[in-house]
Amino acid sequence: MKRLLLISFGSLVNLVLVAASANAAGISVDAGLTPAEDRWIFRTQVRYMQRKNDPTAAGRRMKTYAYPFILAYGVRPDLTLMVRQTLKDQKSFMSGSSSRNTDLEDLFVLGKYKLYRRNTPDYTFGIASTLGVEFPTGSDPFTSETWDLQPGVYTSWRSGPWATDFNIAYTWNGFADKGEGGLNPGDELSLDWALAYQFSFGEKSRVSLAPVLELSYKKIGSDRLSSDDVENTGESVFYLSPGIKFTLSSFILEALVQIPVWQDQEGSQLERDMTVIFGARYMF
Amino acid sequence: MIRFKCWLLVLSALLVCGAGCSNTNSNVSAKFTKDSETRVYEVFGMDCPGCHGGLEKLVKKIPAIKHAEANWQKKRLVVSVREGAELSDEDIYDAIRRANFTVGKRIN
Repeated sequence: MKRLLLISFGSLVNLVLVAASANAAGISVDAGLTPAEDRWIFRTQVRYMQRKNDPTAAGRRMKTYAYPFILAYGVRPDLTLMVRQTLKDQKSFMSGSSSRNTDLEDLFVLGKYKLYRRNTPDYTFGIASTLGVEFPTGSDPFTSETWDLQPGVYTSWRSGPWATDFNIAYTWNGFADKGEGGLNPGDELSLDWALAYQFSFGEKSRVSLAPVLELSYKKIGSDRLSSDDVENTGESVFYLSPGIKFTLSSFILEALVQIPVWQDQEGSQLERDMTVIFGARYMF
Repeated sequence: MIRFKCWLLVLSALLVCGAGCSNTNSNVSAKFTKDSETRVYEVFGMDCPGCHGGLEKLVKKIPAIKHAEANWQKKRLVVSVREGAELSDEDIYDAIRRANFTVGKRIN
């Protein structure tokens, strides 16, 4: 009964929050299954992103490298805590000149709670809810001034070599305060679906290789000044992302290319180009 | 570019750690000897090689356990018991549950 109430509450929270915007996670397989108790996971990625096709005559474009470092710990079988710190290196070009900014992004702390898990000889199914808080600790002058809340629900299904995940997350930017001059970044909504097929190398092998295909929808709401939308902010993107995941008993290597197959920006913003992600996880 | 090189350095360190800690099956099997009692349990919920480590870590914390090896494809956990030690099945079942897996039956 208690579990049913928790599931209902998690679903209700997400139904209420599915209203505004998205965050294409990238490599989201396994997200609905909480790790074992006393399990440490260190995860890092390098993400290369570009924005181009300036609709104005200014010839703007942007290249960004982001390096998220994540440490997670299985406090209990049903509860995992995670801390993420990202370093961002961004180069902007405009009218033949360029500028470069290197910033620490906000510190992000997240708790993942196992709502449901069923393990059978034929399949494994899990649902986990998350609640994350982004602290205003970063050095980015725009996005680092507010406390942001990120609830989410993650589901994972495994059957034989097949695995599929469906995840939904919402970022409520400035849930407790507003940025300088009353300006707040828009909220974000992300929907991710992932499919993977796992190849193993013999019955006793401790190695597997899994091609992954992800579909992600991301909607970022317009920034707000007082209660008005700010021009040239807000966008929606739909990504198709092929990737690969190489798993050993304590180590995972992963790579993914996020291809924006559809996008819609408000006003005269740059378009998103492909994002390339390389990642590694060490579990101990 | 310097940051990218730093990230590659971190990745290399992880690779070294990962390679060092990912035992090959032949090394592990050598740790099961005829002298010690060996038990085999059915475990459901292990779906990839990455699932092994969490379960083996918890099982190896049980004082009576000499060695433990999980196999996600066979859905099995094999443990060897220290000589003269008493091992309760319930201790194994508790470790399996804390690893977020489900206990099947004891096979051997």
